[in-house]
Amino acid sequence: MNDEPGPSGRVASAADDADRAVLVLVAAGQLDALQDLYDKYRTMAYSIALRITADASLAEDVVQDAFLGAWRNAARYVEGKGSVKTWLLSIVHHRAVDAVRRRRPTVELPEREAVPPSAMTLPDIWPEVAGNLDREDIAAALTSLSDVQREALELAYFGGLTQQEIASRTGTPLGTVKSRVRLGLLAMRRALIEAGQVASDGGIGPGGGAAGGRSGNPGGGALA
Amino acid sequence: MSDQRMTHELARDFAAAYVLGALEPVEEAAVREHLMSCPEPHDEFAELGGVVQYLAEIPDLEMVEPPAALRDRIMAAAAADLAARAGAAGPANAPLTAPTPTPLPTVAERTDRLERTERGTRRGASRLAWAVQIAAVVAIVVLAGWNLLLQGELSNARAYDQAIASVVDTAAKPGSQTVILAPAENSRASGIAAVAADGSVLMAMRDLPATAGTQVYEAWVIVPNSDPLAVGGFTVGPSGMAAFTTRPATTPAGSTIALTLEPTPGSTAPLGPIVAAGVSTAPKS
Repeated sequence: MNDEPGPSGRVASAADDADRAVLVLVAAGQLDALQDLYDKYRTMAYSIALRITADASLAEDVVQDAFLGAWRNAARYVEGKGSVKTWLLSIVHHRAVDAVRRRRPTVELPEREAVPPSAMTLPDIWPEVAGNLDREDIAAALTSLSDVQREALELAYFGGLTQQEIASRTGTPLGTVKSRVRLGLLAMRRALIEAGQVASDGGIGPGGGAAGGRSGNPGGGALA
Repeated sequence: MSDQRMTHELARDFAAAYVLGALEPVEEAAVREHLMSCPEPHDEFAELGGVVQYLAEIPDLEMVEPPAALRDRIMAAAAADLAARAGAAGPANAPLTAPTPTPLPTVAERTDRLERTERGTRRGASRLAWAVQIAAVVAIVVLAGWNLLLQGELSNARAYDQAIASVVDTAAKPGSQTVILAPAENSRASGIAAVAADGSVLMAMRDLPATAGTQVYEAWVIVPNSDPLAVGGFTVGPSGMAAFTTRPATTPAGSTIALTLEPTPGSTAPLGPIVAAGVSTAPKS
């Protein structure tokens, strides 16, 4: 769509812009646009829902709920709070986690909002970096986690378990689980930033090399 | 202000679990409340939250295509939702009140997507027309559906939505046709139907008076210049709804699908009054 990647090689941001344009139409009640959005993200959405629920029909319900939630609440998507993809998949994730928690007899759930509040739909890691990440980079970033960190993150994200539930499931003190979750996310973040910058320096697309040095990285230094 | 300070620190402490959705509901609510009122920045939420989406891309996440029918179900539900909005805004604003049969789009039409959306203007019978068509049909359902909701018959409305979704599923398949069943004189019954490739007719009907005694509703396929062919009957309860699949029959495009109320099952020629009917329409190829 965008024939000329900008000087910083932000191809992914062009894709984000296209998504935003589609979402504006969704907010305006255009069914066509909803179908576009669905066709683009259905596989990812369904795969996540299926992994979390481990139940094909529940996963379908989750995806349907999530896209209808997006359909009804597209106007509440806040630009600057992350890409449409992140927003959409976070809705899928929340719905799926709610669905599996509801299935557990002991847990009572408060009525959740249709769409996660904006504080929950979070910015991508710096579009400049994120745009340069491919699946291999992400896989590599995940290997920077220790086994226990990865286990804790996956139990939370795909298992829908709370920290306390992870602690009792794995027989680990709550404090330890908390630090695994926190350090795991920080380690991933660092690895993703590095991978994104390397890819950018490697000159994917014209001007990639020039952009690498200054790729926007708010708060990155605070990690050291 | 030391209390607030504490809460601020606590919120920071909870950030990782919060962005993962791994807090207990009470904790999550407390953090959310704090975030909404806290004057100080909470960059850690964005910093950590930006990472979470990448967990979805772990290499061992098996990518699975959802069933094709899911799309149609979502689109039908969204169309119903749209119609409900139009209905809520007042009948005068309803997008269409007298739907006429419109061909469903071919697969090629439906896959020809983004550019057209971005171009804005469209010619001819686009997918939008198709969607509006479905919306219009569902609008009838939904406008009446408000009454159902008021009557506390939500489950009936849902059942009908599901029946509609099944019809839409069938209609989306290759070789199928669509039929909009409009009420006959002195009848309020209406619905939509899809003729499957095997010639069976899947129908979703509403506002059918309940059958009594031996009465049945009988579905008929009427090929032009031929006698009506009975393709199956069903009874209806107080909900007035019916989801029914007929026996397969040869049903070329342009056939009439009609529903009559028969005094007894097994009629070979219609005896009772027609309650709803429509003409089958094949998609453009």
